Amino acid sequence: MSDEPRLEVLSSSRGDRCGATRAEFIARGILAGGALAGGGALLVALPRVAMSSPSPAQDQKILNFALELEYIEAGFYAEAFAKRKLRGDLLDYVSTVRHHERAHVAFLKGALGSSARKEPDLDFGDATSDPEAFTAAAIALEETMVAAYNGQATNLTKGTLAKAATIVSVEARHAGWIRAIAGRDPAPDATDTPKTAAEVQAAVKRTGFVGSS
Amino acid sequence: MSDLTLGELDRDGALQEAVEQVSGGTRAAFLGKAVVAGGALLGALAVPAAGEAAAASDVAILNYALTLEYLQSSFYTEAERLGAIRGELKRVPPQLGAVERAHVTALKQALGGAAVKRPTFDFRGVTEDNPKFLKTAVAFEDLGTAAYKEQAARIKSPALLAAAISIHSVEARHAAWMRFLAGVIPAAAAFDQGKPISEVRAIVASTHFVVARPKRKARKNPKYSG
Repeated sequence: MSDEPRLEVLSSSRGDRCGATRAEFIARGILAGGALAGGGALLVALPRVAMSSPSPAQDQKILNFALELEYIEAGFYAEAFAKRKLRGDLLDYVSTVRHHERAHVAFLKGALGSSARKEPDLDFGDATSDPEAFTAAAIALEETMVAAYNGQATNLTKGTLAKAATIVSVEARHAGWIRAIAGRDPAPDATDTPKTAAEVQAAVKRTGFVGSS
Repeated sequence: MSDLTLGELDRDGALQEAVEQVSGGTRAAFLGKAVVAGGALLGALAVPAAGEAAAASDVAILNYALTLEYLQSSFYTEAERLGAIRGELKRVPPQLGAVERAHVTALKQALGGAAVKRPTFDFRGVTEDNPKFLKTAVAFEDLGTAAYKEQAARIKSPALLAAAISIHSVEARHAAWMRFLAGVIPAAAAFDQGKPISEVRAIVASTHFVVARPKRKARKNPKYSG
């Protein structure tokens, strides 16, 4: 085998508009593996994620987008902890995770300064008191967080990306943890599919947790 | 884990090479070393494709990731093959093995002829001992997460960054799952820190799992003549 087109995958372009070039197309094709023997996890083809050149101004928009999500999670876990209806593994989970999300909010507010968006109006219904509703909501929120951060990774400046990377893996740990508690497969896929901002907003809307923002 | 001497780190042949390439920096330096390692690497990188050249540092980072994925996939694959991991842990080797093998496949495909070969491993009975297996799985997954994280911001290609980031979070899920099974807190801190290559290298070396550098493809002296 020689002269493989796969070398075109390794584009050294910096700040280029991506998603439409042949190199990126090939990259997606190559990185989407085939089915594994024995019904193992599939490598998922990277969806076409909206990309644009990184800049501090764009970082700010993305961090504010992340801040809204972190506000939702922090509010959700704080309320669940305060209502004192969770027991056992779920109580262990919420007792720890609420501190993490609060720290994420604090970090993002600090990074954004006066540009930080305000906390959205939140209403969690019985998701913060009923164990089953809580579990389902926690899974949905953590999965959305991972997909949201992953979806924006290529849009961030490198400095901000390095910081976001320290957060997304914690959200992924949360996802693995709550799924394990729920008796669900903590890591069903070989890669975590990113979501666009629009897809994330749609997922958030489906929760019904956010009132006027 | 304590830092090890250079002599002990020699065993980590594959990682050592990847480290040199990443810290070497320039494409010229990389190609210089590639000539020493064998003609295949130089040939692969010399092909200019549609005006876009492979970033040497991206190749080095992918090879570093590939070496770690070889370690993980070989570990789980052997555990599954030996069949001694039982009970609550029974589905861990086949499931994590399938995912890590998929990562190996993807990285090898992306790298083509530039991919490093699999080193030789000796897991010293750990793949047959439930508590040791689990402890090692926790360590491997935490390590994989930290390794990917540290390199993410250095990746030049957006497509490769997206792929690496989507693997990074899966390693974190694995880490949380293994910790949960081990009765250890799945997410110990609000922010996960990365680990630099030198630290990752030291941790891998301290396991003594890597016993030989990957074999070279080409033989200097043919086995048969005439």
